[in-house]
Amino acid sequence: MIAEFTERYRRAVNDPDLRPRLLAFQRSWRESRDAQVALLEQRTERSFDELRRDFAEVKDATLDRIDDYIAEFRANAEAAGATVVELTTAEEAVEYIAGVCKARGIDLVVKSKSMVSEEIELNDELAERGITAIETDLGEWLLQLAEQRPSHLVMPAIHQKRQYVAEILGEELGREFDPDDIPAMVASAREGLRRHYLAAGTGLTGANALVAETGSIMVVTNEGNMRLATSLPDVHFVTAGIEKLIPTWADAERQLQLLPRSATAQTLSTYTTCITGAQPGKEMHIILLDNGRREMRLDDTIGAALRCIRCGACANVCPPYQVVGGHTFGHIYTGAIGLVNTAFHHDVEAAAGPQGLCVSCGACETVCPVAIPLPRQILQIRRRTTESGHAPRWERWLLRAWSAPQLFRAAMKLGAVASTLARAVGLVRRDHIRLPLPRRLNWRSIPAIPSQTGSDLIDNRQPQPTLESTPASGTTVDLFAQCLANRLMPDTVDASARLIEAGGANVNVPPNQHCCGLPAFDAGDWETARRMARAAIDALSRADHRIVTPATSCVISMRDHWPQLFRDEPQTLSRANAVADRVHDLAAWLDGPGRLPDGCLEQEESGSWTAHRFCQSSNRGEPGARIDLLVERLTGETSLPLEEAEVCCGFGGLTSIAAPEVGEGIIERKLECIMASGCETLLTNNPGCALHLRAGAVARGASHNTQHYADFLASRLPDDPPS
Amino acid sequence: MISASDRTSRFQESLVAAQGEIAYLDSWDELWDFAASLGDDTPVVSPAAHGFLRRGDLPDAEDPLRSIADRSVGITVAALGVAETGSLLLVERAPVDRAVSLLTRHLVIAVGQDDIVDELAEGFRWLADQPRAAAYATFVTGPSRTADIERSLTIGVQGPSRLTAAVLT
Repeated sequence: MIAEFTERYRRAVNDPDLRPRLLAFQRSWRESRDAQVALLEQRTERSFDELRRDFAEVKDATLDRIDDYIAEFRANAEAAGATVVELTTAEEAVEYIAGVCKARGIDLVVKSKSMVSEEIELNDELAERGITAIETDLGEWLLQLAEQRPSHLVMPAIHQKRQYVAEILGEELGREFDPDDIPAMVASAREGLRRHYLAAGTGLTGANALVAETGSIMVVTNEGNMRLATSLPDVHFVTAGIEKLIPTWADAERQLQLLPRSATAQTLSTYTTCITGAQPGKEMHIILLDNGRREMRLDDTIGAALRCIRCGACANVCPPYQVVGGHTFGHIYTGAIGLVNTAFHHDVEAAAGPQGLCVSCGACETVCPVAIPLPRQILQIRRRTTESGHAPRWERWLLRAWSAPQLFRAAMKLGAVASTLARAVGLVRRDHIRLPLPRRLNWRSIPAIPSQTGSDLIDNRQPQPTLESTPASGTTVDLFAQCLANRLMPDTVDASARLIEAGGANVNVPPNQHCCGLPAFDAGDWETARRMARAAIDALSRADHRIVTPATSCVISMRDHWPQLFRDEPQTLSRANAVADRVHDLAAWLDGPGRLPDGCLEQEESGSWTAHRFCQSSNRGEPGARIDLLVERLTGETSLPLEEAEVCCGFGGLTSIAAPEVGEGIIERKLECIMASGCETLLTNNPGCALHLRAGAVARGASHNTQHYADFLASRLPDDPPS
Repeated sequence: MISASDRTSRFQESLVAAQGEIAYLDSWDELWDFAASLGDDTPVVSPAAHGFLRRGDLPDAEDPLRSIADRSVGITVAALGVAETGSLLLVERAPVDRAVSLLTRHLVIAVGQDDIVDELAEGFRWLADQPRAAAYATFVTGPSRTADIERSLTIGVQGPSRLTAAVLT
């Protein structure tokens, strides 16, 4: 049985060893995987993106004609003496395996690693039928001894520490193990498992690929256990999802270019085993399982998830995974892919718990070797879980309040009054209110709300004189101030206006603008998101000016989320697209239509800086994502290097509220990198990140300032520009 | 064209990167002496290698795995080597063919220098053309390994803990 999500979450955040171990793992994987991919690109003279798109096409073409390929596979495998069975449900697969075992009098199964067998919870099911299954992959065996499940697709026992391993091995083998002698613990698998291989009537494996042209299976392993499990017993079961079909051996080789490099950062795993048909005098049963896969394929957005080759790379770059691990970030399948396919192989209930943990940073998609649009798919699944009533009630109310501009404004005004009072009595330091917060929440301070909004500031000041004429000179630009920035970062809104004006354009702040709908979309509440988006489209459709915003996330929301929201409303869709076509991220604007010349801003002698680059736009390769280069270009100042500059800061929309420990864990990693850079000022490019990073730095007592780059640039505008 | 010696040195580089070892030998006699020097007992020899060597202990046909489990040195033959990855392709249809490569401690795999190909893709092309070979074929790339305990790379788990490619020149 898998514990409830809340219980799994609680266990994960209370494990002090988990975070540092997974952090070390993610960092070392990243380094070795990047080196492997660079070598591959060099050897093939093709980019990773080209290579993965090629193989993704192979997978898609196969999936589109899956029944033909299954028929070809079946004919060839059966000609070679195998039995091929296509089964629809997990129960059918269990019954088939148990049935064959009973008929042959088999009561012991040795297993090589198979995620499908985890998916159908085979071990427990067989145990209920009096058949013992023994895992022979070292990691899986350790999990079985500890009565646990894999927390990672290829490093199943990554959450276990060696002291614990020594303990469980000691219990199983009846002698003591030194936790620091890992080779001795590893060696024990050889003796501990040998008797099972010799006694087992059947060996069960998965398959990394099913090759249609010859009816063969291909399995990659490192330990050698798979070859033992298929050599000693007389019956070989293969459990595989139908998506493992590929047409030819040439395709198998293409898969191998991507799989071990993405999984364990190896050029090739130690054993790549190809088996065609039953061996002389033996039986081979190949179970091709559907279990929700054909239904997945029918879904426009989710269908591509069937390309997955189970490398685990999506978990290896996932910031929330690093904090909570795979038992919490996932169900049986872990990592980003687990947030998607759980809804199909299991149910929406099982998929619901971890949905709120994803910060939508988009890192998973950048390393996926088959280019699965995981972030978009997760948001789609989150919509299902929310619509089926699995979202927390507070979230629904918060979004409803947010979506009502009057309510939002009233709440913010109240907050502004309270902030003024707090300031008067000395409760405000570094623009944050000093309130005693509970331990779960005290890693982030509460920002004091300024009394004026961004649009108030712009209404009550003289425009910035033109610094340089640009292609945008003389035109009017609509400024989308963004809900958060307008209330909580009014100076940033004004700074953005001044930078646009410095390029000779006039700035207009359209009235009644509020929110693009992003928070609701992210939370899976599409109905509220549509309401908010419609209001934003109305507010921004009064003129056909170009629109500029300092809120990078809203640009993505308008361009990417709006078409999804209004797919079935052609009229709104065309209005939405018209707005999205006119919208520019401020940084892209300052390099594009409103391009300010190199070195036009004043240099300041003092003040070193570095830049956290908004994860979502960086991971999508959006123009304007490289704010460090923009600031260097305009000021002539040089950025300090920052490690993991594009890794999420942990704000993640509502994630940091719904799962505060995740927000805390991620910002801790971020602040450590920032403080190690030695910067006096940290720049960033999205209001949510700026607020989150500033509040985190204040709570932690870090000495650096956090600024939106617009503030930093505007403060360097010359006082007396040339006329 | 990549020259044979370039290909061999690339093979060596890839194999060493995968923690494998390499020896260049002139003849099967030399190979035998080399393998025999690696352990205290007589090397066990796969049926395929026995065809060339005509000596060494063969696995028992009735109970091949148990008969040679954990012997210190084993010798077998690869159908081909792959320079790109340092892999050796073992074609082992029956358990008796596989016993030596599965369970000996130090595995010596003979490969003809002329049987080394450049890329893994060529290995797969060869396999696609040899349906009988694909009955049970394995690209072996270095000794068996795991990183399942705290990601600590440990060489030698359930398969051989040392692997030497004996390149016959």
